[in-house]
Amino acid sequence: MKSLVLKDLYNISHNSKSMLFILLFFAVVFLPSSGIQGYVYTCALLCSMMIVTTFSFDERSNWTPYALVMPVSRNDLVASKYIVLFLFSSIGVLFGLIFGTIGGFIHRTMGIVPETLSEMPLSMAALTALAFSTVFGSISIPLTLKFGAEKGRILVFASVFIPVAICYIAYRLLAALGITMTDSLLAALLYASPAIALIWNYLMFKISCSIFSKKEF
Amino acid sequence: MTDAILQIENLTKQYSGFLLDHVSFSIPKGSIMGLIGENGAGKSTTIKAALGLIKKEDGKVSFWGQELSMNENLREDIGVVFDGINFYETLTPAKVGSISNAAYKQWNSSLYSDYLRRFKLPADKEIKEFSKGMKTKLCIAAALSHNPKLLILDEATSGLDPVIRDDILDVFLEFVQDENHSILMSSHISSDLEKIADYITFIHQGKVLFCKSKDELRYRYGIIRCKTEVFHSIDPSEILACRKDDYQWNVLTADKESARRKYKNAVIDDASIDDILLLYVKGEQPK
Repeated sequence: MKSLVLKDLYNISHNSKSMLFILLFFAVVFLPSSGIQGYVYTCALLCSMMIVTTFSFDERSNWTPYALVMPVSRNDLVASKYIVLFLFSSIGVLFGLIFGTIGGFIHRTMGIVPETLSEMPLSMAALTALAFSTVFGSISIPLTLKFGAEKGRILVFASVFIPVAICYIAYRLLAALGITMTDSLLAALLYASPAIALIWNYLMFKISCSIFSKKEF
Repeated sequence: MTDAILQIENLTKQYSGFLLDHVSFSIPKGSIMGLIGENGAGKSTTIKAALGLIKKEDGKVSFWGQELSMNENLREDIGVVFDGINFYETLTPAKVGSISNAAYKQWNSSLYSDYLRRFKLPADKEIKEFSKGMKTKLCIAAALSHNPKLLILDEATSGLDPVIRDDILDVFLEFVQDENHSILMSSHISSDLEKIADYITFIHQGKVLFCKSKDELRYRYGIIRCKTEVFHSIDPSEILACRKDDYQWNVLTADKESARRKYKNAVIDDASIDDILLLYVKGEQPK
């Protein structure tokens, strides 16, 4: 398992400079409008998307058959992708917090006051950003396992729309049942998001394992 | 064959348009088994099915008497080299070592460093700057450095020049000096197998045509080259495969000494593995 995670980290480190550039560019563009919280979310989501890139590297190097002759199980291989996703999202959150804070400080000294969209504490913003980014990233794993990295790149957009669609349907259902979405209910859902993300990731992991167990190389 | 490291029995896999049909052979300790056959004959399918990379429809594959799916730890003792490198091009041999070290309990870092030195592979150079020969050597170094007992090579020497192939074959011969070690090597390059293999398994259209010791093929198999009238006098039970050229018949026989005694009007040549392969693949086999 450790070897699989290490391999992804080594592979992706080659792209770290371009990712760093993108994240810094987003800091300049988004920090004044979305504030630190928004920037943390952006960084986490962008970093979580790198999980599809790791599949692309695996395909190009024909890594998976080799990995499967090492003393690791198929489930280990799937689990390693979820660990890497968690690491990528965590790095994104951490980066967003550090550079968002620095950027926010610079903006304030320049007289630019960020329009904070949320009054959520930074710690909670970090935790929910981690939850959302792993939820989005986790959908791309079974999709990429099923359809390959090339199609997976396109399908990664589905990983944005699926949770959004589920939330919308849930919202409409609640509305139909006469339950109105109050601010406090919304806040409660937001605070519950890390737990929801854990359940969601476990579900995606099981689906991924099922898909991967049928794959031949 | 007793004391088999790898035993394959009735391995069957069906694809649309191809059937790997009840393939059976075994590899004894301390030996090298060459797997030959034309492109698409089923060599790689056999290896992949044996390693669990594809699902077999029927049959049994056991390593040291145990099925791989029943005991994941068996993989510690199996080194595999595929055709082409399986590491992403921006990795370096040093990073490949770190990844492998984390994967195998038996990983021997100093042995790996020795192989890198022996193969003249710079530890901190990216793989994308390596030649095909260097990439293959890196894969072999990685496969050997966790002290496997069985080395499986799927077309590992294809596309390499004779000098590099010779270096690599020497490494394989050293590996089997330990009588507990064995190699399964699929290759198109029959000269490589003639140099190092102890046994040859010939797969044709998904079926094993024969599994014999190389010495039996070398010392007993022969090709009867003769005119049509002599060809018709040959006992059909002596014909393994035959093919008509413009001027003569070429007949593969399993007992060239007997043929030399019986057919004085024919030329009986020794049969190389290539000759055997060509006659089986392109010739006719008596019903």
